[in-house]
Amino acid sequence: MKKSIYGVMAEFETPTALVNAARAAREKGYRKLDAYTPFPIEELSDALHLHKNRLPLIVLIGGIIGGISGYLLQYYISVIQYPLNIGGRPLHSWPAYIIITFELTILFASLSAVFGLLALCGLPMPYHPTFNVPRFALASRNRFFLCIESTDPLFDHDKTCEFLETLEPREVSEVAH
Amino acid sequence: MMAHTVDFRIPAELLTEMRGWRTKALGIGVIGALLSAIGFFVAGPNQFYRSYLWSYIFIVAISLGPLAWLMLQYVTGGAWGLVIRRACEAAARTLPLTLLMFLPIVIGINNLYPWPHAEIVNADPLLKHKAPYLNVPFFLARAGIYFAGWLFLSWWFNKWSAKEDAEGHDAVHSKMSRMAGPGILFWGFSVTFMAIDWVLSVDPKWFSTMFGLLFIASQGLTAMAFLITLMVLLSKYRPMSEVLTHRHLHDLGKFMLALVMVWAYFSFSQFLIIWAGNLPDEIPWYLTRLNGGWQFVALLLVLGHFVLPFALLLSRDLKRNFKLLASIAVFILVMRFVDLYWLITPSFLKQSFGLSWMDFTVPIGLVGLWLAYFLTQLEKRPLMPVNAPHLEEVLEHGRD
Amino acid sequence: MADEPQVIDQPASKEIIAPGYTFGTVTDQIAAVVLTKKTPPLFWLGSFAVGFGLLLLFLLAVAILMVKGLGIWGLRSPAMWAWDITNFVWWVGIGHAGTLISAILLLLNQQWRNSINRFAEAMTLFAVACAGMFPVLHLGRPWLMYWLFPYPNTMAIEPNFRSPLVWDVFAVSTYATVSLLFWYVGLMPDLATLRDRTTDRFAKFFYGILSMGWRGSAKHWAVYETASLLLAGLATPLVLSVHTVVSFDFTIGIVPGWHSTFFPPYFVAGAIYSGFAMVLALAIPLRSAYNLKGLITDKHLDNAAKVMMATGLIVGYSYILEAFTGWYSGNVYEEAAIWNRMTGMYKYHYWTLVACNVIAPNALWFKKIRSSPVILFIWSIIVLIGMWLERFVIIVASLSQDNLPSSWGRFESTRWDWATYLGTIGLFLFLFFLFIRLLPMISIFEVRTLLPQAKVKEEQPR
Repeated sequence: MKKSIYGVMAEFETPTALVNAARAAREKGYRKLDAYTPFPIEELSDALHLHKNRLPLIVLIGGIIGGISGYLLQYYISVIQYPLNIGGRPLHSWPAYIIITFELTILFASLSAVFGLLALCGLPMPYHPTFNVPRFALASRNRFFLCIESTDPLFDHDKTCEFLETLEPREVSEVAH
Repeated sequence: MMAHTVDFRIPAELLTEMRGWRTKALGIGVIGALLSAIGFFVAGPNQFYRSYLWSYIFIVAISLGPLAWLMLQYVTGGAWGLVIRRACEAAARTLPLTLLMFLPIVIGINNLYPWPHAEIVNADPLLKHKAPYLNVPFFLARAGIYFAGWLFLSWWFNKWSAKEDAEGHDAVHSKMSRMAGPGILFWGFSVTFMAIDWVLSVDPKWFSTMFGLLFIASQGLTAMAFLITLMVLLSKYRPMSEVLTHRHLHDLGKFMLALVMVWAYFSFSQFLIIWAGNLPDEIPWYLTRLNGGWQFVALLLVLGHFVLPFALLLSRDLKRNFKLLASIAVFILVMRFVDLYWLITPSFLKQSFGLSWMDFTVPIGLVGLWLAYFLTQLEKRPLMPVNAPHLEEVLEHGRD
Repeated sequence: MADEPQVIDQPASKEIIAPGYTFGTVTDQIAAVVLTKKTPPLFWLGSFAVGFGLLLLFLLAVAILMVKGLGIWGLRSPAMWAWDITNFVWWVGIGHAGTLISAILLLLNQQWRNSINRFAEAMTLFAVACAGMFPVLHLGRPWLMYWLFPYPNTMAIEPNFRSPLVWDVFAVSTYATVSLLFWYVGLMPDLATLRDRTTDRFAKFFYGILSMGWRGSAKHWAVYETASLLLAGLATPLVLSVHTVVSFDFTIGIVPGWHSTFFPPYFVAGAIYSGFAMVLALAIPLRSAYNLKGLITDKHLDNAAKVMMATGLIVGYSYILEAFTGWYSGNVYEEAAIWNRMTGMYKYHYWTLVACNVIAPNALWFKKIRSSPVILFIWSIIVLIGMWLERFVIIVASLSQDNLPSSWGRFESTRWDWATYLGTIGLFLFLFFLFIRLLPMISIFEVRTLLPQAKVKEEQPR
């Protein structure tokens, strides 16, 4: 019995090789796998079936909350808490309230987008097992990695390594915890 | 690759189909026109001209707006431009008909505008002040300049595009894109002053610097909604069924969304500034339009011209759905009519909302006749520019 | 760890990226500007020194302002808004180009934006920071600026939400926040690159914390792409709204010459016009100093010049319509306001700005002018001057001669007006050149996507 590891990782030189490898791994039945690339690759998201995420919904909800609270803030202050007659304009001057309602919609929606992004990605995460692979630093430069994680039901150290070798990677390495 | 296997000429089956549409449009147009002619005598010339003016402004938008898109796509490039190019050219070739349709406005100038009447002008110092601009000869001269420019641009782009089809792209090189920049500039100025002359001067005391921009935006929107409807209609038949993909449609849908937003932005800014200023020479225009029943039309515009299409068009899936996008486009075209009605008619009916049966027959007649002529023009050329540069890339771009 | 040689000298190219680059070389070339241990080039040192010097001047001007009060500026009744608000509008306007490039051009699939969006966004942030100085300093008691926001307080007073000045507080602060977030999200993958490339322990820690542990996971990229598009979709109407609200500061007031309905789009066009001028003014020297002509190519300059021309023409359209409507309105005050602009106390300012904003951009119709970096640089400075004068004339000419001739008066600037204005230019240069030294000025990961190698080749047809 070997000591437990995070997974095994193959390094590729081109995005095409990685996308083909990811497709092959999916076809083989692996599900707990992730790829690491220096830039977003649309085909890779297709290959790993990553297209739908909940971020648009989060942003929509954030925007609606922002808009409603923006309008209510102005309504409450101008009509109820601190009513002032200014130039004979009605207390409930809705045309004038549109602007701040709009700004707060955008503000809340944008904050939801950024914090939603971090939450969905589980960031910040200063430590991750993949960083233990010395060549992984190149994932932010010019190399493309495919990692099959040990939690995958099909994962078997030797067989998975063998499978990755058949994809003609530059190198296959073990990812320690 | 696959590009050269597509024959862009209109196949016989589509041709019969298009002739069928044309006959229907012509029939409806003639009926509408006849009823309107009867109305001229029954309901009186005033009503006829009032209904005619706002309907005619729609015809200008639908024939001139595509010319603007035609010029814009020469400046920016992009796959969407190639797809709509032929439809835009055909619409631009209907401008002679638009000129012909301008004649009733010239004839009815006394019925429509207060400023040609000497007794009204002499009694009002403000109108006297504006008389150097608002007088019949200068009005006609300006209209002449607008039409001369539009017809020239239409002729230029059609001529060189035909040459490109016949002799290849090298024969025309950058002729079209060079004219496009100045052309757009002319379009912008001419539409602005057209809006001031033909629409704003119905209420000659009111003014707003935003008015021209509103018409620039709404011409673009009218044209884009029309083009989307047409593209979806054509996409059922060869050759467009092999060319048009949801990616092209997505781009066109984005433009429509953008223009819906721009229209709302311009309209709201103008309203907010005048509402907050509350000055006696500006606010009456809005008071008329927000009272006496007109406020419900305004509400309909807020919901139907902005909120609903905006909320729907935000969806990416919807912009890629041919049928849904086309239904929204048709809905927007209807709203364009409502908007023009709300902009123009309250100046004649200051007391309360009113709608004549002529407000249906005239636009139906004009649009029917215009569509018949448009379809005649559309069938004259292949549905795609066959020798345009990047044609293959465009076809590839669509596939995935 | 570099296993490919660095290719630094790239020929200028007509495309959006010069041929011959690889993932490795673009990474190294852009990262090297930040990670190098060598003394930065003379251009950097000089610009930073100028910026730092002017920043000190700014601090001095502000200190004196705090001690003596607003009287040190030339503000006298009736012109209680002058250089301060002019500078505010000018800086906010410049800030528009960054978000426009990063958001609108992203939505329009304009790939040329990829190599200029980063520093343009940084420019936006710093320009907005400079802009924010003026209304705050103009408050008189800037340390009480939090009174601008609605919050429960013992004085039991609240802002007036019918005032455009309060809208402006919300618009500009939202804009600053969202721009910062957008910029930071765009930086995350590049911060990870710097973390992985640096050999310095401190820098590794610094960039490591800032990158939040970004590891380029495909799962993350999928969400990241969605987030970028959503943020772009949100930032686009936001950026238009900001200058719209700035224009409301004037139009909602019924001062002759201010109350014009098309100010919102006219101001937005002017903002983009001056913003692109600033992008050009920064990009042209930067790409020479750092040998980035292969990444910021002549094509970029050409495109930026075209946008500048198009928006310049809209500005020209606005001047013409403004003059026409001034007459057409038949309103004596409007007519007088326009007439005073053209022939009154500020006529030289007015005709100079017409030369800069209406006549000068027409030179850009010619490809020859657009393809000469030196001329473009000069032109961008002309545009920046023209747009400053435009705001000055709109604000000061209208206030100096409003409805009541007995209260007319001429505004004269003081040395402290100059010092504060030049001081914010110093603040801008200081922040901008710090950014050049500490963060990648070109978005590395987005430039990688421009390379032909980045395309996935399909082997089997699906």
